[in-house]
Amino acid sequence: MTNLPLWFIPLFPLIGCIVLGAIALISSGEKKGPSEGFVGALSVLFPALAFVSVVLLSFNMPEGGIRSTLCNWIDIPMFKVDIGFLFDGLSRIMLLFVTGIGTLIALYSNGYMHGDRGFARFFAYINLFLFSMIVLVLSDSLLLTFLGWEGVGLCSYLLIGFWNHDINNCKAANKAFIVNRVGDIGFLLGMLVLCTLGGSNILNYDALNAFINMIMGAGNVEIVVPILSIAGLCFFIGCTGKSAQIPLLTWLPDAMAGPTPVSALIHAATMVTSGVYLLARLSTMFVQIPLILDIITWVGLLTAFWAAVAGLFQNDIKKVLAYSTISQLGYMFMAAGVAAFDASIFHVFTHAFFKAALFLGAGAVIHSLAGEQDMRKMGGLLKKTPVTACVMIFAFLAIIGFPGFAGFWSKDLILERLYMSGPMGPFFYAAGLLTAVITAVYMGRLIVLTFFGSYRGSKESEEHIHEAPACMLFPMVVLAFGAIFAGYFWADSMGIKFFEESLAPVVGAAQAVLHHSEAHVSAGVFAGLGTLAALLGMGIAWAKYGKARIPAAKGSSAPQGKMATWTFFWDYVHGVVITVVNAIAWVVDNCVDKLVQFAQWLVGGIAEILGDGAASFQVRKVRLQIALSIAGVAALVIVVLLTGGLI
Amino acid sequence: MLALIYFIILAVVAVGSAICVLLSKHPLYGALSLVVSMLSLAGIYGLLGSPFIGVVQVMVYAGAIMMLLTFVIMVLNAAKDSKTPMFDKVSLFVIPAALVLAGLVGFVLVRSGIAFDATTLRGSVKFTSETLFNLSQTGPGYFVLFEVIGLLLLSAMGAAVLMAKKRLGTDNEEEK
Amino acid sequence: MELQAMYVQILALVIFAIGLIVAVSRRNVFFVLMGVELALNAVNLSFVGFAKTLPADLSAAGQIVPLFTIAVAAAEACVGLAMVIMIFRNRESVDADTFTNLKG
Repeated sequence: MTNLPLWFIPLFPLIGCIVLGAIALISSGEKKGPSEGFVGALSVLFPALAFVSVVLLSFNMPEGGIRSTLCNWIDIPMFKVDIGFLFDGLSRIMLLFVTGIGTLIALYSNGYMHGDRGFARFFAYINLFLFSMIVLVLSDSLLLTFLGWEGVGLCSYLLIGFWNHDINNCKAANKAFIVNRVGDIGFLLGMLVLCTLGGSNILNYDALNAFINMIMGAGNVEIVVPILSIAGLCFFIGCTGKSAQIPLLTWLPDAMAGPTPVSALIHAATMVTSGVYLLARLSTMFVQIPLILDIITWVGLLTAFWAAVAGLFQNDIKKVLAYSTISQLGYMFMAAGVAAFDASIFHVFTHAFFKAALFLGAGAVIHSLAGEQDMRKMGGLLKKTPVTACVMIFAFLAIIGFPGFAGFWSKDLILERLYMSGPMGPFFYAAGLLTAVITAVYMGRLIVLTFFGSYRGSKESEEHIHEAPACMLFPMVVLAFGAIFAGYFWADSMGIKFFEESLAPVVGAAQAVLHHSEAHVSAGVFAGLGTLAALLGMGIAWAKYGKARIPAAKGSSAPQGKMATWTFFWDYVHGVVITVVNAIAWVVDNCVDKLVQFAQWLVGGIAEILGDGAASFQVRKVRLQIALSIAGVAALVIVVLLTGGLI
Repeated sequence: MLALIYFIILAVVAVGSAICVLLSKHPLYGALSLVVSMLSLAGIYGLLGSPFIGVVQVMVYAGAIMMLLTFVIMVLNAAKDSKTPMFDKVSLFVIPAALVLAGLVGFVLVRSGIAFDATTLRGSVKFTSETLFNLSQTGPGYFVLFEVIGLLLLSAMGAAVLMAKKRLGTDNEEEK
Repeated sequence: MELQAMYVQILALVIFAIGLIVAVSRRNVFFVLMGVELALNAVNLSFVGFAKTLPADLSAAGQIVPLFTIAVAAAEACVGLAMVIMIFRNRESVDADTFTNLKG
């Protein structure tokens, strides 16, 4: 099976999307939906087939990756794009967890969405999402990546607004879509800037890398680096939109309005990491523009810290996880900013497992509490739902970086790379470590409030608490194992470097460009400090929330007062920007537009007067008019003859 | 020399029957004169070495188009415009204008000094079909034109049917 | 004395002038149509006449375009006669000067 075609991978979810979409459309008019067993089986089958293809391909992948050009897409002078796929170390890892986790979550959703009227529609969207995500990751050119990029944005919109009878869900979906568009314009502009740089084939990754190496080898640095910096900044804006970084991050917490499996799949594990993927994919370009890399580091740092603190203030269990996702994405961007692309992808990989597990656990909790999301009304669920609790606790240990769990290895690696990144390194390291402590605190708070203490909800709701069905538990358990063991692909201090080696053909050369001095601190110190941070955060969380009486929940679960100010700070910023733009629009509407209208009216008036005047000359006999025109032609010929124009 | 004699005979017939068109009272006589004029023009085409155009002239122009015209004249039957004068004041203005124009253009023509070329191609059927349909030789231009003409004829037919069939609404609304 | 290219053009010019005069000066709508046909014929003749003055590889266009002109003339006669029928049905007249629907 060495020559399994690459387009098989996106084909399966596409077929799934079409089939399920057809089923959803056909059954939309009927009272009773389609059989859930049949639809559910289909919905798991196609992602699973894609996953199997990826696994088969992964085992047979040559060192340099597989390239296959499907057909020509655009071929005009100066610009040529093929529809082609590139399967190398980077896309292999992304694909493995995208399709793998996608399959697990499709299975989970079968339980979670049980009884929902839009059962088939939901899975059609999920399959469409997987198709777009696979295209994004697998494509060999920026333009096709952009197609997938837009596709996942669309699916995100569709799935956030899945329960579209609630206006708030629709608003959240619109917000996600519009904020993402702002980022996408950055992506588009970046591609345009690259096109101006030259080379009709430059949007192809291989061609782009070759081009940059050629330019840098030729020493035309002064001319190209400014243009590359602009392009890099544009791409980074695109990444901030998709990956919820400052300033385009406000959509992700709102995106929790969608069904929980969607939050797990799209807004935690896969789609939001596509920004990190793009940075790694363009690593050859980014290492040539240190200025942009610095910006990326700072943005990642601020985002990680801000979101971690905001996570402390949330009462809604999914909102906590949303802010923690933003915070972890900040970590990945920090790592990418110091040119540690392999570490950042490694964190993407481990994060996908433990964050998906956390979200699925949260989904199971919400499911068992019949839709309750406010953590202040939970508590003591450890005894009632032991499997969910264990999964959540394992994932919790992974995210705070408890030794031995997945997050420990990846986060530790990022912090180590941050420390070694140059003169600012220790500062970055300290900030990252502080954020790690805060992470441990808010995640500890989540675990304590949800699973420990005593149940704080109403008595009658306590009766109905039940463990989730098996088809939900199975994916959670698998992901929990992932959260524990995924880190051992690159256990640096244990000498296992499988992950680094598999990524080396893609990002290794780029990272070698920015060579950092080896740390004079041994790896053990980093590990020790990281462990200390995790334990400190857990201790704080236990001390603060473990024994204390939680005030009874009243009103909405949104944070109040200063907490709200912090949480919604970037929403305020967006509001200010929008107000300014509105003011400009008002001015344009009332001044510039009036001017244009006046000019229109003026031209129209003049034309009308002239036309009326000319019309009064008209002879109202057709034959006479023709005769006059003949005489006119004769007169013209006379004039030409007399002036000797032709002869 | 013989060609010149033939040409003069055909030209005289063509111009004479054209003048007959101008002066005939009934459209039917005009149409018949026009047929004669076209036939003699077809002869001139043959004389010039483009027999295919001459044949098409006879078949399409003198045959089809003029037949259609004659048919319509006979169907309408009100074509004898006894009340309508042949010429009026406008005509008095038109004829000198057209003559002056023709005279001026003729003046220019006579001074231009054109002459027949010996190597010119004979417009036979083979030549015409090769020019039209041998895409590798002349490129697709004429062929596309040919197809477009087909579309034009189709749409003209549709338009004619639509216009000539009985009006759906009332007829004499806008009378006078 | 041989046949000159000029003679053909002069003949075309004369027939064109007559066609123009017929089309414009006669008031009967059938004569208008016939005048237009006559003028078109003259143009075709002029095309062929000029084509014969050109060397071999250039003379193709002048001998092909008249074919298209004839086809277009057929379409024109077809539509024109349909219009005449329609107008005649409305006006009971073939006098071109009475067709003043578009008068402002």
